[in-house]
Amino acid sequence: MAALVRSLLSGAVLSGAPLLYATLSELISQRAGIVNLGLEGVMLVGAVSGFVAASHTGSAVVAVVVAALAGGVFNLLFAYLVLARRANQLATGLALMFGGVGLSALIGVRYVGSQIAGLPELRVPILAGIPVLGPALFAHDALVYAVVPLAVLIWWVLRSTRWGLTVRAVGENPVAAFAAGRDPHVLQYQALFVAGLLGGLAGAHLSLGVARTWSEWMTAGRGFIAVALVIFARWHPLRAVGGALLFGGAISLQLSMQARGVPISPFLLDMLPYLLSLAVLAVGRGRHRHAAPGSLGRVFQGTP
Amino acid sequence: MPDTVALRHPRAEALARLLGLVAFALAVFAAVLLVFGKDPLRAYLDVLAATLGSAYGLSETIVKMIPLVLTALAVAIPGRIWLINVGGEGQLFIGALAATGAALHLAFLPGWLLPVVMAAAGVLGGGLWAAASGVLHARGWVSETISTLLLNYVAVLLVNFAVFGPWRDPEGVNYPQTAELVPAAILPALGTTRVHLGLVFALAALVLWALVMRRTRWGLEVRAIGGNAEAARRAGIPIGRYVVALMFLGGGMAGLAGMAEVSAIQGRLRPSLSPGYGYSGFLIAWMARGHPVGIVAAAFGLAVITAGGDILQMTQALPGSVVNILMAVMLFVVLGREGARR
Amino acid sequence: MSRSLVAILSTLALIAVAATGETADPKLKVGVVHLGSVNDGGYNQAHADGIAVMKKNLPEVEVIQVENVAEGADAERVMENMIRQGARLIFAASFGYLEPALRVAQKYPEVKFVHPGGYKRLPNLTTYWASTPEAFYLMGMAAGKTTKTNKIGYVVALPISFFLANVNAFELGARAVNPRVETRVVFTGTFLDRGKEATAANALLDQGVDVLGVIVDSPITVVQAAEKRSAYAVGFHSLAAQKFAPKGWITGVAFTWGNLYTRFARQVLDGTFKSENILGSLKDDFLTLAPFGPAVPAEAVSLVNTRKDEFAAGKAHPFQGPLRDNTGVERVKAGETFPLTDLAKMNWLVEGVIGQPR
Repeated sequence: MAALVRSLLSGAVLSGAPLLYATLSELISQRAGIVNLGLEGVMLVGAVSGFVAASHTGSAVVAVVVAALAGGVFNLLFAYLVLARRANQLATGLALMFGGVGLSALIGVRYVGSQIAGLPELRVPILAGIPVLGPALFAHDALVYAVVPLAVLIWWVLRSTRWGLTVRAVGENPVAAFAAGRDPHVLQYQALFVAGLLGGLAGAHLSLGVARTWSEWMTAGRGFIAVALVIFARWHPLRAVGGALLFGGAISLQLSMQARGVPISPFLLDMLPYLLSLAVLAVGRGRHRHAAPGSLGRVFQGTP
Repeated sequence: MPDTVALRHPRAEALARLLGLVAFALAVFAAVLLVFGKDPLRAYLDVLAATLGSAYGLSETIVKMIPLVLTALAVAIPGRIWLINVGGEGQLFIGALAATGAALHLAFLPGWLLPVVMAAAGVLGGGLWAAASGVLHARGWVSETISTLLLNYVAVLLVNFAVFGPWRDPEGVNYPQTAELVPAAILPALGTTRVHLGLVFALAALVLWALVMRRTRWGLEVRAIGGNAEAARRAGIPIGRYVVALMFLGGGMAGLAGMAEVSAIQGRLRPSLSPGYGYSGFLIAWMARGHPVGIVAAAFGLAVITAGGDILQMTQALPGSVVNILMAVMLFVVLGREGARR
Repeated sequence: MSRSLVAILSTLALIAVAATGETADPKLKVGVVHLGSVNDGGYNQAHADGIAVMKKNLPEVEVIQVENVAEGADAERVMENMIRQGARLIFAASFGYLEPALRVAQKYPEVKFVHPGGYKRLPNLTTYWASTPEAFYLMGMAAGKTTKTNKIGYVVALPISFFLANVNAFELGARAVNPRVETRVVFTGTFLDRGKEATAANALLDQGVDVLGVIVDSPITVVQAAEKRSAYAVGFHSLAAQKFAPKGWITGVAFTWGNLYTRFARQVLDGTFKSENILGSLKDDFLTLAPFGPAVPAEAVSLVNTRKDEFAAGKAHPFQGPLRDNTGVERVKAGETFPLTDLAKMNWLVEGVIGQPR
């Protein structure tokens, strides 16, 4: 039993961490009023850039910074198109995904099968010694430890800082924000850059921390799960932590159950995140008005 | 999506502008190739030679185009009343699932009837899958954008469930795919090429759609809703019913694409059914602004790019997916222009 | 917009027709279609390394390789394009390429095809594979003597019968030297999701497994996960995997296709190609047991070598009855064996393996 709990928990954390970075990225984007379906591409660019940097410098810190910046810069391309060129968000996002797939494949073609050191495992003294929970929660890499505090930080920034409140105001109603003397575009550029940094980190954690390899399209749809997760979390960073753990836990549960010989269809289990998100939207209608940012109303709420 | 914007400009000017955009996109991609030490001119010539330079290349480009036209229609039809269907991929998978079900369980039907039944099953499957999103939207529960997107993944997983589980080929070393479909279930192809009857389905669907929109009362009401939903509602047009109907029709087109891929190309259901046709279709519909001729042209262009991808590996030692960069740059340029003109 | 696009495309078409040129013919052009990347340290790299050996043996052969070709509609076009580029021998190097290869082979009877693991042939299509259960049995023996927790984990892409047979043989080999060994198998459902492979590997390690085996395209992720957590690893497909686990490496089984591929190419050059169904074993040079790692006890090495000789001499069999599956059903009667030519029918997991064969 202890082994199962440990396996479930550490699996949930390991699968959940890159999902949470991706979810926070999408969350900031949507809080600023912009849906990014191209997150998958941003993650891939981050993943490959980080891997290439790690392979040349051997430094995990440099690799993570490079991955984040690459994600941020790539997302600025998206920002330019949807903000300055007023291109359609959804179509541009999908195009960004295709572009990221191709660009990362091109950058990474010589690095498939390369060996890197990856992110070192940092055991938290004392805590890692707790039976069961210790090895499951306190024997991971730095990006795992950073992600929950980061979620709290984002929650605090969006709730309590002037910048965060303005970003939210822009997401609620850009016209009103404009009328109040703020340039919504500048804030949205900033928000999308931050979102890109987080998307890059999500990719970096996959290529440097989880898999420690580079392969084409290694995100395998996690960018889209993040879109579902943002809805599931009702645009709240702290609920996103729970959501990512739950989704990561579902993957981990399915694999752990198999390892114990419990018959359960992985495919039916994999559907849960998507169906749960739909249910959250359908049930949550009326009560919180979804808590969706106002300017996304057209995209997320059933009102034309 | 109104298609009148292009007509406001004199034709020559519009053409010149478009040429400029395409040239710009090609130049950007050429620059990317140069950075990676490749010869862009050679790459372009190779792609063109492989796709348009021979009858075979052309036929393969058309094969690639068929599902793209249908999935673009899946977006354009609901798009006529501003519904955003991001679910073409899932509807394609469900259409393929339903058509395969028909082929496996009704294999005794004669060769002229079985494909008809499979096509009907494909349309029905994809249609109902999309109509569910239509109902959610019409009731004011969940927008069709997000429900179609989320249901894509559910659809792919359902197909996986079927081919890993109950429909797995009993003769086939436990490989995740159904048994080979009976010969009667295979759509006829043109000569020795892989161009199949699905091309006729796709073009007929385009023409029918254009005719229905222009010539029927139903089409008039659709256009009325597309023009001004509030006014149409006050005029007593039952908008909810149109929402569901157009989602059904759109999903049905994607389902038909799935049926054609299973029947004519794959010959059985397997998880690697589509390399993202549904998403490409979305982009095509958006580029063409829902216009039938534009859909054919954009689908053809995208088919050239994707069918040409593997040639670059053979001649230029480039990863096949780099053509995705070219596709994305083209889309960025077109989407950026369309957006700026709004 | 649309009309102008048509105009542009037709202009481009004209340029394209003009651009189609022919290059000088080498003696033989060979086309190779890969499912994944040729540097994956696994399945695809084994094929690519074999091609490299062939190219070294026969410098007059020119090679066109295409990676990451999905098993659906695209494979057929890639093969046909290779033929249009002049290829006269096609390596359709993934199991799922069988039907596309059959269709293209029918269309081009003068072009020769070789396919790994196929169960249908044509006069111009040879199938080849190496029967791996004996090798997995030997790996199981080495792992059974090395494990300290008596729990071994396998990360497997899909529950297809050849893979089930490998896991079964592995467990039987491990039990032969250590009756308390159990093997837990996890299917990721895909060849392509490295993140899921890592999670599966860690899930197994968390449950007390101290040896990890892997049957996916690229073993790198799983082998590294084992090394990182000081567990042992057994490899598959390519000898390249060993460098990712210098400490925990036990052994591995690799396809060393070089000589066979040279033979195929030479047959085409000589005009002596004939359709065959080749099923090799450890006796052949295209299936190789990798060197043992530092952790394997010397006793295990000698046990493995003895059994290897017995396999070669036909004195032992990896699936020697009586065998029950892991639900208790008798599958092979006492005194009988499960024929290695029937592996396609092995859709069960043997007693001692924890997992679902579907």
